[in-house]
Amino acid sequence: MRTTIVIGAGLSGLMGALALAEAGLRPLVLAKGQGATHWTAGTVDIWGGDERSPREALQEIGALHPHHPYALIGAHAVEEAIVRFRALTEAARYPYVGGLDRNILLPTSAGALRPAALLPVTMAAGDVRLGGTMLIAGFRELRDFYPPFIAANLAAQGMAARGVYLTIPPAFRRREYNPVTFARLFDNPAFCSDIGRQLRAQRGDATRIGLPAVLGLRDPTGVVAHLQDESGAQIFEIPTLPPSVPGMRLFALFQNAIEQAGGRVQIGSEVICGDGRDRLLTTVWSEAAARRQEHRVERALLATGGVAGGGIRTDHMGMVRETALDLPVRAPANRAAWFAPRFLDPQGHAIYTAGVATDAHLRPIGTDGAVVYDNVTVAGALLAGTDTVRERSRSGVSLATGWAAGRILAEWMA
Amino acid sequence: MMIIPEDHIEQSLEASLDHCIKCNICTAACPVSAVTDLFPGPKYVGPQAQRFRHARQPSPDESVDYCSGCRVCNEVCPTGVRIAELNARARARLVAERGIPLRNRLISRSGLVGRLGAGPHAPIANALLGSKPLRMVIERTLGIAREAPLPAFSRYTFRSWFRRRRAPQIDAGTPKRQVVYFHGCSANYYEPWIGKAVVAVLEHNGFEVLLPRQRCCGLPLLSNGDFAAARRAHEENVAFLAPYALRTIPIVGASTSCTLTLKEEAPELLGMQSDTVRAVAQQTYDIFEFLRLLHMRGELRTDFRPIERTLPYHPPCQLRAHRIGRPALDVLELVPGLRLIETHAGCCGIAGTYGLKVEKYRISMDVGAPLFETVRRSGADMALCDSETCRWQISHGAGVVARHPIEILAEAYGLVT
Repeated sequence: MRTTIVIGAGLSGLMGALALAEAGLRPLVLAKGQGATHWTAGTVDIWGGDERSPREALQEIGALHPHHPYALIGAHAVEEAIVRFRALTEAARYPYVGGLDRNILLPTSAGALRPAALLPVTMAAGDVRLGGTMLIAGFRELRDFYPPFIAANLAAQGMAARGVYLTIPPAFRRREYNPVTFARLFDNPAFCSDIGRQLRAQRGDATRIGLPAVLGLRDPTGVVAHLQDESGAQIFEIPTLPPSVPGMRLFALFQNAIEQAGGRVQIGSEVICGDGRDRLLTTVWSEAAARRQEHRVERALLATGGVAGGGIRTDHMGMVRETALDLPVRAPANRAAWFAPRFLDPQGHAIYTAGVATDAHLRPIGTDGAVVYDNVTVAGALLAGTDTVRERSRSGVSLATGWAAGRILAEWMA
Repeated sequence: MMIIPEDHIEQSLEASLDHCIKCNICTAACPVSAVTDLFPGPKYVGPQAQRFRHARQPSPDESVDYCSGCRVCNEVCPTGVRIAELNARARARLVAERGIPLRNRLISRSGLVGRLGAGPHAPIANALLGSKPLRMVIERTLGIAREAPLPAFSRYTFRSWFRRRRAPQIDAGTPKRQVVYFHGCSANYYEPWIGKAVVAVLEHNGFEVLLPRQRCCGLPLLSNGDFAAARRAHEENVAFLAPYALRTIPIVGASTSCTLTLKEEAPELLGMQSDTVRAVAQQTYDIFEFLRLLHMRGELRTDFRPIERTLPYHPPCQLRAHRIGRPALDVLELVPGLRLIETHAGCCGIAGTYGLKVEKYRISMDVGAPLFETVRRSGADMALCDSETCRWQISHGAGVVARHPIEILAEAYGLVT
């Protein structure tokens, strides 16, 4: 039976599971539901909190924040994770581009600019520094993506842009739409051709065309190439509201790679508690029909996310707890200190730095600094000592610590 | 008449609405809304419409009838909203308001249909149901799609075989362990060979198999919104099974929808919360869940002969709803040479009785299309699946034999069934 357990199926859990699977440990990933991948933009933000390049930020972080997850694992470990991640996406013919030397600025579906270190190649032509005129195209049927609004906000920031709406060919009309409905439409070459022709007609002097990130689930790079051929312009994707199609692609390619390497992913099974002795976690239980499912544990990787992801729960009494294994959480001592008075305080809100503190091997430690479990590592947004939203480091921390936690766990008592 | 009692399950479902953050991950995963506009998706008819459903007002959303009840929405929901239960209860409200069509009364009574068709006269019943003109008439009059995959009745019932067979020899030296087998309607009336395989595997592992009285688990009644009849079915089953459950004798079934119903569907949807109901639920195991548990305790025999085959395996929605992973894969990977490939193609579309209905047949085939394609592309002449209606649908859609994984396990043990 599978005794290497990964808890959580976001980017950190999936990276960790991949590392464990490739080490031959046949991990079982347990997750409450489909999560972080389906919520996020699908780019990897290593560091975007200030003007420094991600590489500079990584090299300097230890001096100021010795307990930051990047500082704990070291810059080389971050680079190693990126190399593995890029190889994975290339093998799946959905390559990620970019790197640590500079952030690429990408338009959001509000027309704001967002820094990203790594991005799927389907978003690459969105780099606003490329210049020229942009056409932003969308569909009235796709809510919360308004091309004229996006274009106007880009223009206000000095980038030439125009927004247009496209027409869904009659044969493909549906009553309800969401990003996934569109992605399935783009999987159809006939639909793509029609849209490509509309884009050519609307193109004008634009050299680049931004579309919502719904350009197919099966072969997005093929869809982009097809649309480029038809339209005569560079095509790029702009992330939408959830469900995130780029995130779904990522999840699918991870699941495939993990299973190919002998692992398994079990969605819909929330880990509700664990039990151990002598600093070893021995069992976890996941929620199931009629009674809990028992899992014997030799090693476990905990990657359930932070406050937003559900790995940390707080209540009105001021209790802050880690939800799966009830590990000690480092958090503001009292509830009054959770939030700053201003909603958009540049310092952020203290509760978002709450998390599980670890040693340099990403093992959970208690308030006394002693390791709680030797056979457990922690990864991703659950880690203490970082406000990943403010640092714009969320997926970077997940990617890097997920991989590192998986590697450390694989080598434990190997 | 109050069909749905006020109960704490109802309250907890209501409370779970507030966990919906409208992320639409459920809609992205829903196999039905992917292929038809008649069902706008779990988010809309589930947590969203629920806010408009009040006891003394008409149901605001009829499209909930197009929910197939596959529970994929529950599986993927990142915040734990009980969408499938909300939908099932909403459908029952609709049914309570409008009554149950004759067709749905008929197809939801699997036990009655089975009793009528199975037995020495089965060849006649099968010939009739195989007749295209008659199926056309049935479609016109009853609304059961003429192409829909109906299983063939067996010439003998599993129970009659069990009664007649020679009592098995249990080693006097080994401690006597007992297990109750809940065969369900399909093994009894349509596929007795699956019941035989279950008995053979359990006895091979040293169990005495007990066969108390039982009736249909009531799942088809629940999914057709006939909660009153489902309640009677579950009350009877609890009465039959409780004496064993209270003595902690496990209740094992190979029909994964029956076991889910005993474990959770019936108690939750019907708001049945007594200690005996809970005891039966907690002692109920899906067959491979039970075998995997034996293996974890080092009690499963592993004297397998090699089977050099690679087969597609479809974990049916009702099995996934147990939230126990893939126990059939865990156990069958112990068989040397046998390699199972999980299909990952969502739902087969049949959803019990859903795909039999003339207005839903096309939807069910469109939902199943990716699975049929995956099975066909695998090149194997056989697929494995734990649910009977899904097996019938896979055979119908992909044109290959679909078998229960327990049959392969019995074969690996060298047990002739």
